[in-house]
Amino acid sequence: MAGGGELGGGQKQRRGKAGKRKAKKRLGFRLDMTPLVDITFLLLTFFMLTTSMITPQTMEMSVPPEIDTPIEVKQSELLTIRIRQDGLVFYNMGVDAPQRFVAPSRASNGSTDYKKTLAEIKKVVVDQNVALKNRCIVVLKADGEAPYGLVVQVLDELNAAESEIIDRLKREHGINERKRKFTVSPYVAKDAEELMGL
Amino acid sequence: MSKIKKKRLGFVLDMTPLVDITFLLLTFFMFTAKFKSDAENQQKFEIKRPQTQSDTAKIPEKDLVMIKIAVDTVAKDTAFYLSMVAEQDIAELRSRMKEGGFPEVDEKSTVYKIKDTVWLGKAIFYCRDANRNAVFAIDADRRLKYRWVEQAMNELRKKKATTFNFVTEKKSGGL
Repeated sequence: MAGGGELGGGQKQRRGKAGKRKAKKRLGFRLDMTPLVDITFLLLTFFMLTTSMITPQTMEMSVPPEIDTPIEVKQSELLTIRIRQDGLVFYNMGVDAPQRFVAPSRASNGSTDYKKTLAEIKKVVVDQNVALKNRCIVVLKADGEAPYGLVVQVLDELNAAESEIIDRLKREHGINERKRKFTVSPYVAKDAEELMGL
Repeated sequence: MSKIKKKRLGFVLDMTPLVDITFLLLTFFMFTAKFKSDAENQQKFEIKRPQTQSDTAKIPEKDLVMIKIAVDTVAKDTAFYLSMVAEQDIAELRSRMKEGGFPEVDEKSTVYKIKDTVWLGKAIFYCRDANRNAVFAIDADRRLKYRWVEQAMNELRKKKATTFNFVTEKKSGGL
């Protein structure tokens, strides 16, 4: 505490008299840090390269439990979105003829770009929900052959549409509640038939 | 040969801040690093997850049951890979799978390669039996046919696991 200057011997007696001690020069102490720094850097690079910062995200899904009694809904309130085996997406209100969404474009790297399709899906879903004032039910049906990635992207779009629907319902109709969402139902032979040749 | 050795000029650079920062980063990376689990080590496939917009929900670590659906790079077959995360659940599930008579189950198995929906359904039941709060997550490759996922969803639904998660990846590059 006293600066470590206890070795001075004779100086001790003089303490407190003049009030100013001679600052003692600390003894030089040198430790070669190079190996330590080397190893540290090595470990640092190892951890930096092996760590993946991207944590997987999740999308929560709820499916209705198996029930025997089907719930009846009005055809006119039903918006069906169907994904055909070739990845083309169709929609129709009730019993109307299915309409096709913009076909996906081929990106330069060979992958399929669904950006425009997805944007249109969102627009249609939002518009229909707002027009029907909360009574619209969106049903998604996907063919077993359709790519799973596309199905999830459509689901994501439906999820993303929710906030916009709530917002517009409030602004345009003064409705603060949001009751109906969307469901996933199996793609049956009848669906395939209806979309054939479109 | 008889060159006069030149005395190098002393050069001292204070390394302290550099070392400080390096250690700081090192500790940071050491603590955040997550190592591959046994289950991940055994897998012979890579999953390209479907890309979604910012869906902030993180994967629940506890009570997790992971159902991976992917194509084996060696055998070239698509299958369900079911595994649990917690140490206790792994042991519980193993004993149940053994009792149930699942082929290819030994003392060390953590991942179950399942090819048919009957066994998938059974395994899902065992998982729920082993851990009441089991949370299911489906981790499938985005290039796969939707049929596989649909089958898994149906099995989950039959076993009354009506809420589950799809493992996704955040879409890079904004919207």
